[in-house]
Amino acid sequence: MTGKTMKRVFVVLAILLPLCLRGQEVAAGLSGNQAQVGEPVQLMVTVRGARGAEVPQKLSVKGLQINLAGRSTQFEMRNFKMSSTLTYTYLVVPQFEGEFTIPSFDVQIEGKTFRTQAMKLSVSGDARAPQVPGLPQQNAGPLPSGQPVSADEGEPFFADLILSKKKVFVGEVVPLELRFYFNSRIGGQVGERPNFGGEGFTVQKFSNAVKREQVVNGTNYTVFSFQSAITAVKSGTLEIPEATLDARLQLPGKAPQGFDSFFNNFPLPQGMFTDNRDVSLKTKPMRIEVLPLPKDGRPEDFSGAVGKFTMEASVSPRKASAGEPVTLKVAVSGQGNFEGMGTPLLTGDEGWRSYPPSDKFQSTDAVGFTGEKTFEFPLIARQDQTRTPGVRFSYFDPSTEKYGVLAQDPLEVDAKAGGAPPPASGTPAAPPGDEPAPPAAPPSTPDVAAMSGGSSSWTALFFRKEFLIANASLAAAWLAVFLIAALRKFPQSRAGREMARKKHLRDAFAGLRDVEPAGFYERAKDCIFLRFDAGGDDLATAAKIDSSPLPPEFKASLHRVIERHGESKYAAGGAAPPSVEERQAVISMLKELETRYEK
Amino acid sequence: MKNSPMVVCVLLLISGSLAGADVLSDARARFRDGEYGQAAKLFERSLEKSPPSAAVFFEMGRALVKTGQEARAALNFHRALILDPRFAPARSALQEANVALGISPSKQDWRARVVERIPLDSLTLAGTGLFWAGAFAGLAAFFPTVLRRRRLLVGTLFLALGLSLLSVAWLCDPRITLTNTAIVLTNGGTPLLSSPADQSEKIASLPQGSIVDVLSQRGRWFYGQLPGGARGWFLTEGIVPLIPPA
Repeated sequence: MTGKTMKRVFVVLAILLPLCLRGQEVAAGLSGNQAQVGEPVQLMVTVRGARGAEVPQKLSVKGLQINLAGRSTQFEMRNFKMSSTLTYTYLVVPQFEGEFTIPSFDVQIEGKTFRTQAMKLSVSGDARAPQVPGLPQQNAGPLPSGQPVSADEGEPFFADLILSKKKVFVGEVVPLELRFYFNSRIGGQVGERPNFGGEGFTVQKFSNAVKREQVVNGTNYTVFSFQSAITAVKSGTLEIPEATLDARLQLPGKAPQGFDSFFNNFPLPQGMFTDNRDVSLKTKPMRIEVLPLPKDGRPEDFSGAVGKFTMEASVSPRKASAGEPVTLKVAVSGQGNFEGMGTPLLTGDEGWRSYPPSDKFQSTDAVGFTGEKTFEFPLIARQDQTRTPGVRFSYFDPSTEKYGVLAQDPLEVDAKAGGAPPPASGTPAAPPGDEPAPPAAPPSTPDVAAMSGGSSSWTALFFRKEFLIANASLAAAWLAVFLIAALRKFPQSRAGREMARKKHLRDAFAGLRDVEPAGFYERAKDCIFLRFDAGGDDLATAAKIDSSPLPPEFKASLHRVIERHGESKYAAGGAAPPSVEERQAVISMLKELETRYEK
Repeated sequence: MKNSPMVVCVLLLISGSLAGADVLSDARARFRDGEYGQAAKLFERSLEKSPPSAAVFFEMGRALVKTGQEARAALNFHRALILDPRFAPARSALQEANVALGISPSKQDWRARVVERIPLDSLTLAGTGLFWAGAFAGLAAFFPTVLRRRRLLVGTLFLALGLSLLSVAWLCDPRITLTNTAIVLTNGGTPLLSSPADQSEKIASLPQGSIVDVLSQRGRWFYGQLPGGARGWFLTEGIVPLIPPA
């Protein structure tokens, strides 16, 4: 980058800075809340989102000498957004022993007044073991592995391993925390997970990093903390090796050659010139003592669980039909080596066939130290049962250094005995309870074959050829009988009768043209009688003609044909034979009659 | 000499069935002697040569259980129960195999309860008999008789009863209802995915021994439905139909 380009960048930054600085806030804190007489403590006032602030030069608190020691500025650009942090550092020198409260005080930023919070400082005169300022006080819990390498003021980065115990039992899970400190002024990237491991112990998967700010020896640090747990697998002195975390840091650097000396007169933002450096932060190795589990008082069914546990059990379903399994669910919860614990023991399970349980662990912390492990025992009753087996779980409690036993009484259940195959032929039946679990005696295969009926085809009976043929035959027979019945019944039916009448009518009508003149009216009368279906009765036919909706002249013509038939039959000497015209007229009339009735 | 081809055919059939019987006897002997792997192979060979038998499938399943092949054993127990749904030892053995596979027991529906109690072929035959009795009784009502109405009533009742029995047999027969059902034999099970692609979203895991209804196939993917109703895609490898293809 040339000097000209540098100038342009600087001008752009100078314009952008006031626009980008937003969200002002003030915070104050001590580098430690405990100190000795004469031992200085730092009070840091951090101002964010402002280029400057007005703070008091000194604070007056009786017993404490508090003077402003200096100020520093840090700029940070993320996603093209600029932020700044001003840090005002006061030096607090205790004058005598006691509990002190540093009152809140005003900080003016661009005409606005912000107020810090009050802080407490405990000052003692006793000589104490050297303490790492800034690290949280360990209350009979986690112990620092030693002095961090950063004890010196201004150390850019250092690491620390905190283990909750230095004397543990084999199999005991011991939570640990790895802390990696980076001076807040340093930018860069850190690795996702630390490297840690060694012989003689196992390590749980590390939790995700937790990032926080912390003041150590008056210096602001960004701390990345990883939690895990270790479990010693053998007794003796255990060497805990160093844990490392790789990081690529942007350390403050010098302006490159060619940077215009003109700009050196301005206070340049920090981080403008940086050196990238790959570093590896390492904790200090440490030793812990691993004790073997005591032999005295160890239960015979010791599960291998080390920790503090409680146990609960439930069964479902409470009612099971023959052969149906029930599930006995046993939940062991607490703190300890859930991964290494064995399964609880079933007691009084002689009448049951039990199978290895499935297990599921639900952790309530990040490292699997606290949680609940559920064991599900599938059980099938060999004989009718009203109670489940009992459950027994033994463990070692490192806090009391004694073994404990958790017991669960049998639960009520109604389970019918499963339909297991009979024992092999020739083999005496084993008495209930003596039969070994899952693999029962091989059944006699001929017996089994005799027990099985069923089909010898994958085709359902509905689709089998013989079934279909039989049904088709029955259907054909039914149809044949139906047809015979229908044919026999048809002539008596109305339709049959109508059909017969129509046939007679057609025959009579067809014979009209060719009939002898003497028989013409006889046939014509038959046609009329068949049409009106009056059964050959003259009076009835006449009545039907009269009641029909035919025109009166048509009715009269019909009556006339019937009269002419009477004349031709009963008149002395007979009636004169009908002429051709008369025959034609009668035939036409009868045709019209048919046409009218057809309509 | 005219009938010689028929005689040869009959002789071949007899010798084939005798050979099948020999294999089955051998398989049973191996099973009794504790040679379970060999017994399973012989049972399988016997089934290839003879008509399917619930008993042989059951025995083969038991041999497979002894060799630690619970999923294949479950398949054979399923097949035994398809052929004979009232085969109680096969039902118990299937439940045990499912427990060993970690398959939760499915809830029995009414059809399972029916087939456990009633022989389906007998039900079908009874339904068919009643149906035709009803049909012919109804037909008799066509003939002029004083019992015409009674015949019609009896015929209708028989017809309805026969149709009901046939419907129940149809709905319950596993050879009809399980036509498209398959079992997962893949070691470690197979995932049920939202689409037929390896990288698609996983809906559920089908553990070994799971039962699934195959609805359709696309290439090397099946689209299926779980007993709970969930639908998705899974690979065809290791998925075996409960009813062997003809």
